[in-house]
Amino acid sequence: MKRGAVLLLCFIAACQPTRHPRQATRLFKVGLLTPGSVNDHGWNAIAYEGLLRIQKEFGAEISHQETKTPAEFEEGFRSYGAKGFDLAFGHGFEFQDAALKAGAQYAKTVFITTSGSSVAKNVSPMVFQLEQATYLLGIIAARESKTGRAGVVGGIKLPSIESTFIAFRAGAQSVNPKFEVKEVYTGNFDDLGAARLATLSLINAGCDFIFHQANEAGRGVFQACSERNVRCFGSNKNQNELAPNVILASAVLDMPTAFVYVARIVRDRQFQPHVYWLGMKEGIVSLVWNDRLKSSVAPSTVADVDRVEKQIRSGALQVPRGKF
Amino acid sequence: MRQIAAGALAAIAAVVLLALSGIAFGHAPGELLSTLISGSIGSSFALHGTIVKSIPLLLTGLSVAIAFRAGVWNIGAEGQFIVGGLACFLAARFGLISSLLASMIAGAAWALIASLLRFWRNAPEVLTTIILNFVGFHLLGYSVNGPLQEARAQYPQTDAVAISLSTSGEVVIALSICIASWFLLYRTKEGLRLRATGFNPFAARWAGVHVNAQIARAMAISGGMAGLAGGIELLGVTHRLFERFAAGYGYSGIAVALLGQLHPLATLLSAVFFGALTTGAGELQRASNISASVATFGQAVVILTLIGLSSRAKRGIP
Repeated sequence: MKRGAVLLLCFIAACQPTRHPRQATRLFKVGLLTPGSVNDHGWNAIAYEGLLRIQKEFGAEISHQETKTPAEFEEGFRSYGAKGFDLAFGHGFEFQDAALKAGAQYAKTVFITTSGSSVAKNVSPMVFQLEQATYLLGIIAARESKTGRAGVVGGIKLPSIESTFIAFRAGAQSVNPKFEVKEVYTGNFDDLGAARLATLSLINAGCDFIFHQANEAGRGVFQACSERNVRCFGSNKNQNELAPNVILASAVLDMPTAFVYVARIVRDRQFQPHVYWLGMKEGIVSLVWNDRLKSSVAPSTVADVDRVEKQIRSGALQVPRGKF
Repeated sequence: MRQIAAGALAAIAAVVLLALSGIAFGHAPGELLSTLISGSIGSSFALHGTIVKSIPLLLTGLSVAIAFRAGVWNIGAEGQFIVGGLACFLAARFGLISSLLASMIAGAAWALIASLLRFWRNAPEVLTTIILNFVGFHLLGYSVNGPLQEARAQYPQTDAVAISLSTSGEVVIALSICIASWFLLYRTKEGLRLRATGFNPFAARWAGVHVNAQIARAMAISGGMAGLAGGIELLGVTHRLFERFAAGYGYSGIAVALLGQLHPLATLLSAVFFGALTTGAGELQRASNISASVATFGQAVVILTLIGLSSRAKRGIP
């Protein structure tokens, strides 16, 4: 009996590691290059949060470098490649060239850039589909608006910003083809006063819903909407608490989860080179209602938004976006 | 001799303080030092990183040194670097030599704006050059978001330039400029007048130096070098322009020049020291998760040590 148990144990022990002999012993190694300090409470901080989540979830060995000069982009990537890292992130479109060069030299490392379009055998970008959530915001605006008109305030007219407005307009016009969306760009992302004035002018022009893509200057949009008690939407983060009396919902992008999502694919050796479109289906993009104001919305609107969200998640509905 | 000792002392102080600061992060100073050294000169890979970063530092360092030698506080190497990169990008279609020349001319012209403001309105260069840095930065920001944006109009960057410069090419140019600066300062009449102007402009005027013209020429040379640094960085490293193109090389040039005691050949050593420090700091962060700010910290220690030493010297303390 005892001998049998020992033999059995030996058998199990002998079998166990042979399936993935290296995986069991080898640590999953992940590196991250950020263009700035990870204490910035913004773009770089959320990337680092993603890296820490990867460490926690996969027990990965992590490494991070704040690359201050462009010369360090390539140096950082090459260093991760030379040290046999499984995965290296470059947090921004500006890392694409460096990723392609390092990728050609170190075939065993996967290089991922946050946004971008460069794809090679072991290089891919992850691109976020915030448009899926802004499409839903457009539906809410069109169904709840009394004037048939909504306004959008942008910072700088970047393709990524225009794209979210295209989706917003498409969502609204899917409800009411005659629904009008007025666009204003302030030309920067930090002038709160300009964003506030732009918002007031939209409200004066009869817009009774406001959506913004003005980053920091978005606070000026919320100020104006609070002054005039006009409902509006938050973007990128859950901004509902910034003006809880007027922000009806936010289009939210969960960057740390995106890092974990891509890391899981690489760890499970499922990586295929292509643009990784990350949206609602992957749990990266979501629509977050402001619970305080949700009751003021017609139940049919909520139901409609839920229905369309399911279509987007299942892939039955492709949300229009800018061509870039 | 004393100056060389001061520079060496400042560099050693920076490294020692860096190593000691490692204790605060729970790393043995010896281990930290060895990572710093192996990460900067320990392999051909690390050495390459050090060289690539030393080149712009050398050129901006020389730029600052020449202006300071003439008694002008040119804090504008960053802006001159940026317009140098812009001009180089625009002239890239005319070939390597023309584009590098264009970067020098643009940097010189940018620096001369400060000199003109000095002559017309007596505006101090220390202010005007720093403000011109911001103008240059925003000019670049506008260019990469507007007229010079890549053909696909997706990201705020330009398309890649068609020509490029190898690292050995960069080294040859930078070393030639370094030797030429030394020759200019110490082996020509122009250099003598330049140094005399910086040493005592009133005495220089009595000695027959046209001080204003001398300052303007020094600024043009200084700006030309910073502009060239931008051109070389574009053709050798980044190949395209984007907002963070200059990445502080202009400001770091001030530390490089000060550690080099404003002497072109010592500036070469100083640039390699800071290049190695930055590269080693990168490895330190990748390997030990110690913030890359240690490189900036090192720069600050160097400057403070030098200021301490020079004020002691002025008070007559050995």
